[in-house]
Amino acid sequence: MKKAIILLGCPESPSQTPLAIYATNKLTQMGYEVTLASTPSAKKLLEVSDPEEHYLKNKVDIETCLDELEEGDYDFLLGFVPKDAAVSYFVTFYHILNTKSLALIFARDEEKVEYFENTVRENTEAEIASARAYHNPTPLRVRLDRALKKLDKKTLAEDDDDKVEDS
Amino acid sequence: MFCLETYLRMSEDYQIHMTRSGFKDCARFIEENAVEVVHVKPGEKIVGARIIGIPPVPIGINDEKGTIMLPYTKPCYGTATVEIPVPSEEIEKIRAVSID
Repeated sequence: MKKAIILLGCPESPSQTPLAIYATNKLTQMGYEVTLASTPSAKKLLEVSDPEEHYLKNKVDIETCLDELEEGDYDFLLGFVPKDAAVSYFVTFYHILNTKSLALIFARDEEKVEYFENTVRENTEAEIASARAYHNPTPLRVRLDRALKKLDKKTLAEDDDDKVEDS
Repeated sequence: MFCLETYLRMSEDYQIHMTRSGFKDCARFIEENAVEVVHVKPGEKIVGARIIGIPPVPIGINDEKGTIMLPYTKPCYGTATVEIPVPSEEIEKIRAVSID
């Protein structure tokens, strides 16, 4: 089974927790086993939101996860990027994992969104989905849907290529 | 083995030059103020912790004082620039993983 890791940022933005559950559900439907790496406070929000673990099966501490992380551990990285520190974390995870990645960039200020986008673009080859968002998760959800659809199409095409090579 | 996390928790013998800043400002501070600067890849293990940041990540070295200066990032608090005393073998380990 393919493995995905969702990297969560500081849980200050109300959009993060619902979008983390939404993204986990989407990726699970796409056939990924999903792990969420977060701070203890972000983890508490997830635990209260999904008490019986219908959606979120694997939750790990971001520091422990980073400490033990190796290339090949995950096939897909989805990083929530709402702050400068989250850009640094995403870029670091990206360079260790060296795999297909998507940065979900959001902030209240347009300037910050643009700055985070530029930094991610200059330092990775990750796909980017971004929007001005704080309380309302919808603009970001729409862009996440689009990005995951694109990823799904690419993955299916790659799987087809593999089948042709195998036959 | 030297461990940065434990060191910062257990000791008071370190200096914080900047706190709650952006990575770029902390990196610039190290470039401008360290006696010697080496650069490493993000994710490299430096004094027992993975270094977090935008490549190339600067690490300041002061052989005379026996200290290193590095960016230290936490998800909710941004990046700080800390200077800590380290054994000379740790400085050699940093030079060994430098990408300069």
